[in-house]
Amino acid sequence: MAAANTNITADAIEATEFMDLSRKYRVTGVPKTIVNETVEILGGLPEQDFVRAALEMPDAP
Amino acid sequence: MGLLSPQDEATLKQHLSVITIPVQLVLFTQSIGGSESGTVTKQILGELAGLNDKITLVEKNFVLDTEDKSKYRVDKAPAIVILSDDVDTRMRLYGAPTGYEFVGLVEAIIVAGTGKIDLDPQTLKWIQAVDKPTHIQVFSTPT
Repeated sequence: MAAANTNITADAIEATEFMDLSRKYRVTGVPKTIVNETVEILGGLPEQDFVRAALEMPDAP
Repeated sequence: MGLLSPQDEATLKQHLSVITIPVQLVLFTQSIGGSESGTVTKQILGELAGLNDKITLVEKNFVLDTEDKSKYRVDKAPAIVILSDDVDTRMRLYGAPTGYEFVGLVEAIIVAGTGKIDLDPQTLKWIQAVDKPTHIQVFSTPT
């Protein structure tokens, strides 16, 4: 996603190495995705579902 | 001894052969007070860079190289910043890229090295329409 749009930054974080962050974002399972500190996605999703959830666009066709 | 087996190396070499654009892997580590994973990360990236002459490892000190740290907005180490022909791809990996993270690293290198994004056209359209700063953090574990 970051490669496709300069407005997007994507960090892959090893949860056990950065325990403070994992606690901050309540990472109880992986993968867990946090977008702009507000959206939380737990687990893996199909590509379109993931992007819709990450970009908060529930009404997209 | 290398972390990658000769068989892994051969498979990876083939995967990475699609790269046409130089990729720089900027690695930030902290030698004093840092974790062991910095050393592992350096070894993994060194072995990857050895498989394709378009991949270069650039080492930075998390404590001393403050200018680069702020340029790439790196706030923890070990950190890998992936550049495509010296241009920031805004893809970062934090922590040692072992297990699933290694797969992600290789995929990110291929995106940076080919300029091709393997996504559904509709999904790509949604992503390209994003007009505000969006920070995505994905947490995973090695296994």
